[in-house]
Amino acid sequence: MSDSSQPVFSCKDVHVWIADKEVVKGVDLEISAGEIHAIMGPNGSGKSTLANALMGHPAYTLEGTVKLAGEDVTSLSPDEKARKGMFLAFQYPVAVPGVTVASFLRAAVSAVRGTETPVREFRKELLSRMEDLAMDPAFAGRYLNDGFSGGEKKRLEILQLLMLKPRFALLDETDSGLDIDALKVVAEGINAAASQDVGMVLVTHYQRLLNYVRPHVVHVFMDGRIVRTGGPELALELEERGYDWLEPAAAGGV
Amino acid sequence: MASRPTSEPSPPTLPLEHLAELSSAAGEDRALLALRNQARESLTPLLLPDRARHLWRYTDPTRFLPDTDPTDLTPTDVGPTWRLEEPLSVAGLLAGGALRVVEVDAHARKAGVVVEDLHTAQASEFLGKAVSESHGFVEAINTAAWRGGVLVRVPAGIELEHPIRLRIVAGPLTVPRVLVVAGEGSSFEIIEGHVGGDGSRGKVLGVTEIFAESRANVRYGLVQRWDPGVVGHLTTRARVAAGARFQMSLASFGGSTFKADVGAILAGEGAEVETTGVAMGGDEQHFDHHTEHIHEAGKTLSNLDFKVALTHAARSAYTGMIRIARHAGGSEAYQENRNLLLSHDARAESIPELEILTDDVRCSHGATVAPIDPEQLFYLQSRGLANLQAMRVIVYGFLDQTLARLPQTTRERIEALVAARLHTE
Ligand SMILES: Nc1ncnc2c1ncn2[C@@H]1O[C@H](COP(=O)(O)OP(=O)(O)O)[C@@H](O)[C@H]1O
Ligand SMILES: [Mg+2]
Repeated sequence: MSDSSQPVFSCKDVHVWIADKEVVKGVDLEISAGEIHAIMGPNGSGKSTLANALMGHPAYTLEGTVKLAGEDVTSLSPDEKARKGMFLAFQYPVAVPGVTVASFLRAAVSAVRGTETPVREFRKELLSRMEDLAMDPAFAGRYLNDGFSGGEKKRLEILQLLMLKPRFALLDETDSGLDIDALKVVAEGINAAASQDVGMVLVTHYQRLLNYVRPHVVHVFMDGRIVRTGGPELALELEERGYDWLEPAAAGGV
Repeated sequence: MASRPTSEPSPPTLPLEHLAELSSAAGEDRALLALRNQARESLTPLLLPDRARHLWRYTDPTRFLPDTDPTDLTPTDVGPTWRLEEPLSVAGLLAGGALRVVEVDAHARKAGVVVEDLHTAQASEFLGKAVSESHGFVEAINTAAWRGGVLVRVPAGIELEHPIRLRIVAGPLTVPRVLVVAGEGSSFEIIEGHVGGDGSRGKVLGVTEIFAESRANVRYGLVQRWDPGVVGHLTTRARVAAGARFQMSLASFGGSTFKADVGAILAGEGAEVETTGVAMGGDEQHFDHHTEHIHEAGKTLSNLDFKVALTHAARSAYTGMIRIARHAGGSEAYQENRNLLLSHDARAESIPELEILTDDVRCSHGATVAPIDPEQLFYLQSRGLANLQAMRVIVYGFLDQTLARLPQTTRERIEALVAARLHTE
């Protein structure tokens, strides 16, 4: 077991290449249990590339060190990372036609927990989490993300977060494309996870979500780098002033 | 005379020396022998199809030439015994060139369901009427020399709760013939399962004819799970009368070279045909599936959904014919074939063939050949599923959309086969 003073997640000097293009240019992060960090930055700045590469997407080349609860997981496969307690909520969740939400989640929960949960117990847990997220039980029988609306996909990502109970979760734009009710539900899910000591990084480019989820730390991300780190007030400043005032700082940092 | 076909310039002949003995030993009548002789004549000389012709572009026809005289009456071993594990209306086992086991449950018997040895059945009204010797050389060989056959006849208006199951066991050379007659308004499921193959060799040249009379509702399954190494060709044609509905489920798993030529003739107004298929190949398996939906009458509807998943160096060719006759207006025909490649070495081809002779139709077709989507894999892996398990989930889902449309019993059977196949990959 890790001791509690140790961050649940850290990465050091992470660079990510897509083919020959360097998209992430040196990122350091340290997140403790129950801590919420927001990463905010304009479209195309490399936030999703960072998130996917940290999870182990095979199309990206990652350099640097990634640790989960002190253990170096840099070169592990995505499924190994998941089984060690890492989770990524996708900006664009992928449809897998023919596979129902329930059967997929049962396989995922079994894989991550390392034991088969009895069917009845699993169903009970699933239905109760779905109720928390105001999801129709019929949802469990639908094919994974197949024909889902944007809001349904994002709710399903949060449902997976609550079912898989990771130590550390990266949430990539889980707030985008949601109406206000869905946004509140998603925020409740995030707060519930944080209260259970999950460390989290919320990737977003809106301040909106942060009205419902209070981050401990806010990072501003531009052109593949964290250009500024501060408290929640930094998010408000971004809301008022946009990102332009930070541009020179980013350039100056090279 | 008993020489095997060679590549010499003179056309090869097929030894069918004991045709008369075969027929008389089986107790056949003269009309049936005449039908056999007529088919034999069509094979003399034996002209193999031009490889440029679409049906044979992907598979060498010589693979289906018998290595021994199919009319040779040397007894062959009877295949494995068959333990029935589910309620069935009829169970029929064709093995060793004969109809070996027939069980008809009390309800089916009382309803007048007929299950007979085709050699001696009164079937001239139907036999050869949906598949004749002119269909092709494999069908001609079968029509001349079939041995071991069954007639299943369900009387008009009879609805069978439990399926009819036919099991055909492949031996060194197996030439089975199946004839199914569904009386007016009858309703039942019939599954033709192909198993066996003598360990690693075996050749099967099978023909099945199905007649769905008006308003009949027939759910037909053709499940091929031969041992590795079997070379086989199966032809099925259904004639579907007015207002009748024919649902065909294909599941292809086994053998080394398998060619299927299956289809339905929508012969009467309002006939409906739905064909659903899955094929899963691995190793060096070679699959060649041809489907035909022939609309001969107006206001007919056909739908086809065929899925292929391949691993290792497996090969698949699919050709799908939709023909709508000039006088078959008001018809609809849809066809979709999707191929999922799970390895670099697997290859699949898909060729739709449309012959639409009237404007008054609705018709669509689609075909895809694609490797497994790396984003799907990443998504599932990020949820803790190891690579192989993630692939299985994706393949299962890919096929399940098609399996979901099958009748319950066929579906369960095929799902179990898919699961078994995926677990051995
Ligand atoms: N798979 C990919 N192939 C090529 N370029 C990509 C790929 N993914 C992202 N990029 C590029 O990397 C940059 C960062 O994109 P992304 O990480 O999606 O940004 P953000 O999430 O901050 O909007 C963009 O220029 C984008 O075009
Ligand atoms: Mg993004």
